[in-house]
Amino acid sequence: VRPRSASLVTKVFIQRDYSEGTVCRFQTKFPPELDSRIERALLDQTVKTLNSYYVEAEKIGGQSYLEGCLACATAYIIFLCMETRYEKVLRKISSYIQEQNEKIYAPRGLLLTDPIERGMRVVSFTHLLPLSLSVQG
Amino acid sequence: MPAGGADSLKPSAFIPVCTAACLLVGSTSLFFVFTCPWLAVTICPAVPPCCAILFLFVLANFTMATFMDAGVLPMANEDEDKDDEFRAPLYKNVDVKGVQVRMKWCASCHFYRPPRCSHCSVCDHCVEDFDHHCPWVNNCIGRRNYRYFFLFLLSLTAHMICVLTFGLIYVLHHMDELSKLHCTVTLVVISVSGLFLIPVLGLTGFHLYLVSRGRTTNEQVTGKFQGGVNPFTRGCCNNLEYLVCSPVSPKYTARPIKKTVIHVQPPFLRPEIDGKTPVRVRDNGIHSEEKVRMNQMKTPPPLPPKPNHGLLRSQLYSIVTSNSTEAMYSTEYICRPHLPDLRLEPKESPLKGGLPAQAPLQASSTSSSMQLNSLTLNSRSLALKHSSRHGSKSQLPAVHADTLGSNSLLGIISSPSLLASHSSSNSSLSYDTLINPGDPQFLTQRGAPSVSYHPHFMTLGTDGSMMQRPPPHAYSPVFMGVTRQSPQPRDPSPSFLRDNFSKTIMASIHERREMEERERTLRLQARSQGLYGPDLAIYDIPSRRSLPPDNIRLSGSRGPTPPAYGSREFLMSTGILGYGMRTSPLSSSSTSSLTRGPKTSSSPLQNSSSSSLNRLLSEMQLCGGATYQLITVSVFNLHAAPSSFRWWYDVSGAACSSR
Repeated sequence: VRPRSASLVTKVFIQRDYSEGTVCRFQTKFPPELDSRIERALLDQTVKTLNSYYVEAEKIGGQSYLEGCLACATAYIIFLCMETRYEKVLRKISSYIQEQNEKIYAPRGLLLTDPIERGMRVVSFTHLLPLSLSVQG
Repeated sequence: MPAGGADSLKPSAFIPVCTAACLLVGSTSLFFVFTCPWLAVTICPAVPPCCAILFLFVLANFTMATFMDAGVLPMANEDEDKDDEFRAPLYKNVDVKGVQVRMKWCASCHFYRPPRCSHCSVCDHCVEDFDHHCPWVNNCIGRRNYRYFFLFLLSLTAHMICVLTFGLIYVLHHMDELSKLHCTVTLVVISVSGLFLIPVLGLTGFHLYLVSRGRTTNEQVTGKFQGGVNPFTRGCCNNLEYLVCSPVSPKYTARPIKKTVIHVQPPFLRPEIDGKTPVRVRDNGIHSEEKVRMNQMKTPPPLPPKPNHGLLRSQLYSIVTSNSTEAMYSTEYICRPHLPDLRLEPKESPLKGGLPAQAPLQASSTSSSMQLNSLTLNSRSLALKHSSRHGSKSQLPAVHADTLGSNSLLGIISSPSLLASHSSSNSSLSYDTLINPGDPQFLTQRGAPSVSYHPHFMTLGTDGSMMQRPPPHAYSPVFMGVTRQSPQPRDPSPSFLRDNFSKTIMASIHERREMEERERTLRLQARSQGLYGPDLAIYDIPSRRSLPPDNIRLSGSRGPTPPAYGSREFLMSTGILGYGMRTSPLSSSSTSSLTRGPKTSSSPLQNSSSSSLNRLLSEMQLCGGATYQLITVSVFNLHAAPSSFRWWYDVSGAACSSR
């Protein structure tokens, strides 16, 4: 078995950044595997935007308080009718990721997957083609 | 629904929750029917509606606590876990607000559990911010539903106190009619509520305490933050605020999957750096061109003819790792352009995923880097010792002791760390194998499978130029055995000398080897006289003594050639496999060296050459007080791996053991 072909991978993961606690944040460290696939700045910007979305989703403020009170008052029946704030932000994130995929990542042979699909543990990039070591600059 | 794994689906699991529900609903209904009419008339008409609202609140929270997903983390896909279970560490440390928190590998769910996450054995899944599994609601209490559970407890306490109070008032006003139905029922109701009030009150108080301290039940019970700092607390008030007011976390499982279509068409864009050969400037100033390196890799250096070369190579791989497939990546590792990355950014490389060669490192990159740093320092001191000891040899330039030498070592170390491609012990392995070449066990095998090492020497040319392949008898630091040569000075291969760094190493290695060979022959001669007792454990061989005095003493002796150990025997004579035969209490040095899964692979060499190994080991034991020490190399946890090993090397004071 040739190591090179055996070592081809199709997924790259960006792990969660737990330095701020259990709030949802992803590491902004650039994975070296993507060094030749995408510019650092683009990926940085994507991850930072995602992080900001999550900060917005998890913000404890007026809107979340109101939502809680309303839920209590209606004996949580409101959850059957209305979408929570977090879910709304998640939809925004989904559309953002799709837009990023279409504009930036697919032209580079990568696909970004929504972290919610993996329980918000990782952001995964799928290589659309096998990563060929020999062409790495 | 987990297939057959969740105890929460068993019929017996529903008994507590049904009991609780029945008691709650039943008692309250009786209260409303029999007691409240009199209360409305006598005390206040608002009493029953308030009680009803409170009871509704209790029910709502009870329902949410029972049926709401606690924050179940879905199992990881196979592609996320590229590590072989044998090699990755059991724990991964992560820094949370300055406090080191351990993330444990979940064998069921195949990921490292996030901080505060725990696996519920009843429900058989990992839950985020796991509190406990509550039998009364037959559900895990975690991030998403802790708020409802807590509110349920609060409201239930209030409700029970209400029922108890009003029931008592009723009974006290009807003391002469106790035998009547209304009174009897009320008595039953207040006794039930009074009976269950005490544990419920206790539990409520407990959770109030937990919330104020910012802990989960799981953390409290396991005593995680008993003495230390809890990084997850935000202060009492903020904890309460977070509990009540934070947004509801989304469900991770059973989400509606939105299918999106993205059209992808090659050719793919590449970053601007494409086409250029990035020149990496390492911190020792060495320029290395990756492109050339890659080309070099494509033409592996021709090795001298060796009858059992293939065997040696396989031996090498089996020594380095317990899993031979990983060893195949060793050549890959070395030539990867990202090698310096790993070295320069040791702390936080999320190596998981992309590089298969680096996959085994992923879990321990941080710890290995830290170890690497410490070992680097030790290597520097060792290099200094070598240089001072072998100062007479001109081949050791004075630069040996300076940053060049140390950084070159660092460069070597980082690559072999990939070579070993394992957990934190990797760096120690590489460092140690590099440093210990003077040990008799580690003397070079001629033409040993040093393929994996060649690129190192290629890339570390001090002038940045690509070196030729190393000499035929180059060192494979991992695989070193005593050669059959007599202890005479041997000229290093001229091609080796071209490389300054390798030259210095080679020279020191030669020197050490010669001295050790002399010592060994001396000891072997003395063995028969029983000078050394066989009381040394395998792991203590040899005892710690500093090198210089003994070396000087034996410098003059030129004994006969050491026994002609075959390459295989020496592979094992290095102690790699011998140590692995026994599990050592010393083996698990750090939690990071614990592996996730049971190791089942065993080195074939071990089984086949145990006799020669035993012989050599017994010789070593008898030799006893040695003038050299073994380097500690813990490749991985020994508790299950027969092919892991430990060498001890202590350079009198410069403790470079990687215990």
